[in-house]
Amino acid sequence: MGRRHLACYKKGVHIQTKFSIRDFSIGIALVLIWISFAVSTDKFLGARNLSLLSIELAVTATLALGMLLVLLPGMIDLSVGSGVGLIGGIASVLVFRQHFPAPLAMLIGFIFGIVVWSLMGKLITGLRIPAFIITLGGLLVFKGVFWLVIRNETVPVTAGTQSNVYSLLTTYYFPKWIGYLLAALVSSALIFSKIRSRRQLRKHGFEVEDTEIMFMKLFISLQALFLAVIVMNQFRGIPLAVVILSALAFIVYVITQHTPFGRYLYAIGDNEEAAVVSGIPVQKIIVGAYGILGAIVALTGFMQTAYSGASTTTVGDLMELDAIAACVIGGTSLKGGRGTVLGVLFGALIMTSLLNGMTLLAVSPEMKFIVRGVVLILAVGMDVTLARKTT
Amino acid sequence: MSEPQKNPQKILQIDHLTKKFPGAIALKDVSLDLIEGEVHALCGENGAGKSTLIKILSGIYPHGSYEGEIELFGQRVQFQNISDAQKAGIAVIYQELALIREMTVAENIFLGHEPRNAFIIDWNLLYSNARNLMQQFGLELDPAERVRDLGVGQQQLVEILKALSKKSRILLLDEPTAALAESEVEILLRIIRTLKERNITCVYISHKLDEVFSIADRITVLRDGKSIVTLPRAQTNKNEVIRHMVGREIQDFFPRRPTEAGPTLLKIEDLSVGEQGKQRPVLDHINLEVRAGEVLGLGGLMGAGRTELLMHILGLYGQRLGGGILVDGKPLVTNLPSEVIKNGLFLASEDRKRFGLVLTKSIGFNLSLASLKQFTRNKLIDHNSEMQTNQSFIKSLAIKAPNQETQVMVLSGGNQQKVVLGKALMTHPRVMLLDEPTRGIDVGAKVEVYEIINKLTAEGKGVILVSSELPELIGMSDRIVVLSNGRIGGVFTRKEATQEALMTAAMKYH
Repeated sequence: MGRRHLACYKKGVHIQTKFSIRDFSIGIALVLIWISFAVSTDKFLGARNLSLLSIELAVTATLALGMLLVLLPGMIDLSVGSGVGLIGGIASVLVFRQHFPAPLAMLIGFIFGIVVWSLMGKLITGLRIPAFIITLGGLLVFKGVFWLVIRNETVPVTAGTQSNVYSLLTTYYFPKWIGYLLAALVSSALIFSKIRSRRQLRKHGFEVEDTEIMFMKLFISLQALFLAVIVMNQFRGIPLAVVILSALAFIVYVITQHTPFGRYLYAIGDNEEAAVVSGIPVQKIIVGAYGILGAIVALTGFMQTAYSGASTTTVGDLMELDAIAACVIGGTSLKGGRGTVLGVLFGALIMTSLLNGMTLLAVSPEMKFIVRGVVLILAVGMDVTLARKTT
Repeated sequence: MSEPQKNPQKILQIDHLTKKFPGAIALKDVSLDLIEGEVHALCGENGAGKSTLIKILSGIYPHGSYEGEIELFGQRVQFQNISDAQKAGIAVIYQELALIREMTVAENIFLGHEPRNAFIIDWNLLYSNARNLMQQFGLELDPAERVRDLGVGQQQLVEILKALSKKSRILLLDEPTAALAESEVEILLRIIRTLKERNITCVYISHKLDEVFSIADRITVLRDGKSIVTLPRAQTNKNEVIRHMVGREIQDFFPRRPTEAGPTLLKIEDLSVGEQGKQRPVLDHINLEVRAGEVLGLGGLMGAGRTELLMHILGLYGQRLGGGILVDGKPLVTNLPSEVIKNGLFLASEDRKRFGLVLTKSIGFNLSLASLKQFTRNKLIDHNSEMQTNQSFIKSLAIKAPNQETQVMVLSGGNQQKVVLGKALMTHPRVMLLDEPTRGIDVGAKVEVYEIINKLTAEGKGVILVSSELPELIGMSDRIVVLSNGRIGGVFTRKEATQEALMTAAMKYH
């Protein structure tokens, strides 16, 4: 997003940075949710809870970013929740029962995810069966296989009390100085790339974003970054899971905005026939998107299982719906062709905040379901209404 | 309400209409009146404001979004939406058909206002109403036939019937013949004459002046959002209308500059193609070749198999029954579109909204979509070089838009067509397949498209040009192959080709 919308104006045309309520609607919703939780319980904004929240966010958002890749070309994946349970379960069984080293177990999980999800992609594109059906089948099959694999038992992620790479995924925190170092590195990279891109644009005669607006945006983003690090450091430091999410978000951002593959995802979702006539190998691209999703499902599987401490029959339940909800709240179109990484991150943050806050307030599970459903409908309803007004 | 024919009554009066868009004025102080029962043609280049005017009259742009007044039957009207306009008796027949393909003719006609008993649709009444309506206007269609099985021309008739079923008094026809073959055009013009006898007023937008002059009572020319002049047909001629449209005389209408033909680039050998569910092959033993620096014209009536041939070459259509395709003398073994395109072929489809453009995305996104590999270094797109190339294409094709981030959806038809061509040109194809490249675009933009064709052949590229407009086909082709009902009806050199000869060849196997 951002860059392509703001930077590329023809010479001589005055730059207009368009802001609409729509761009802010998710942000406003998020602030409202946070304020109401903060008023209800002072624990919500405590460093401990925010740290916990960030790990929960990391798990949900990771999966949602994978989902984005298949929603963009107009597909969907209902099987990711079961997949999270299954791949986490496989890795747990390998580590706990077969005594594989954790990295090897996880590698096997990754390969499994990539292969199985690519196969689903092949089924969808090759047989022209709607993704909804194939992945609904996947949901059921993976669930069954999952329970077979763990034999309906609880399988810990480590043997004994020692921690391993697997268990550390959601329990490791970076030392404080590394947190600051990371923040400093990220900020300088941001500033550097922004300046470089402006210089390039200027050099080639394209007009660039207003300096003040750019400065303001950078300033706000960097402040938010440092604030987050300071808060995290008040508890135990930056969780490893958050760094994993950041890296993944960066990778998915680059894929969607800076590679032909990503551009093709948008084109396919918007007008598949035009994409074919443009020479885009549509089937390959879709299979590729499912392949990447498979790897991300595996990663989420490890994180979610590690977060639960052990693989149990309920790990991954309904996560596909949280992932889809996060994407949609973040402005991703289920018809394909529209959606951004930043939007998905915000969407995931809304879903996670709701769940986290309600848990703090000891809201009953029944109410939790109802509230999440209502928020999903409200958020999308608001987005659609605003979209109509602005066009 | 209607007065006798001898004393024609003003049915609609448009007063000082101005419509502004952010950064552009689409209509400037346009005044116009319609007399009941007349056919009033609107002529003008793309972007002259015709479509904007139609959108205001049909309620798409609600009252308040423009300045000026509209009076219908002497009463001021303020449409808030399309249904207001429809209730007042104004209906639009769109350039792109808006029918539901899986429904029958009758279902489409009464879609949204089905005759009902309480809540239950009265199907018998619906079908008998449809039949009555057709009889009333002398149309022959099977009400129970599915729209997807109809030709484009017949679909257009369904659109018109749909409007008539709503008791429309004014029909706005926006490029109704853009997708029709000559024979179908005749049918449509006949129907418009019937409508006229029934005292229905038609506003007729077309780039084809022959049609305009055969049907219109009065002609209003729009240019740059202003109404330039309104002329009774009997007192004007084509040259005068064109002069008003472009503000200049067009001397050399088909500026084809023939080039020396080089080696054969693309050869079709004895190609037969079938479609599932069809008994007869759609293409039957087709032979043709395109040489470097040559424009091969492909003529024929609607449904002769021209589009099917191009789509089949690209791997987008049909089953190969026999024969083959050779590129540079080597057989083309793949039928994957992405692989065919790698062999240097590229198709600019006649249906630009369906096959050509990603409408909600920007001009730049569309232009570079098929050429991203050119800008990719280490798997990442180099946005700077992409934007520069896009910019140079926008400039050389004279695409009119604020900048390359403008959505193609908001562009005029001619500019959209230029984006499609630009996308094709950017891939540096060696053989360019152009399917009706000038459909629905104005005179000025047409000449620009012809110049693009000249430039391609001058660079030693080959071009296949499909066109339903005979003067264009004859004017721009070095050789012409005419298809007739899936077979080759005739092959002509530029010198041999006359409109009569081509028409005869096109009818040969029908």
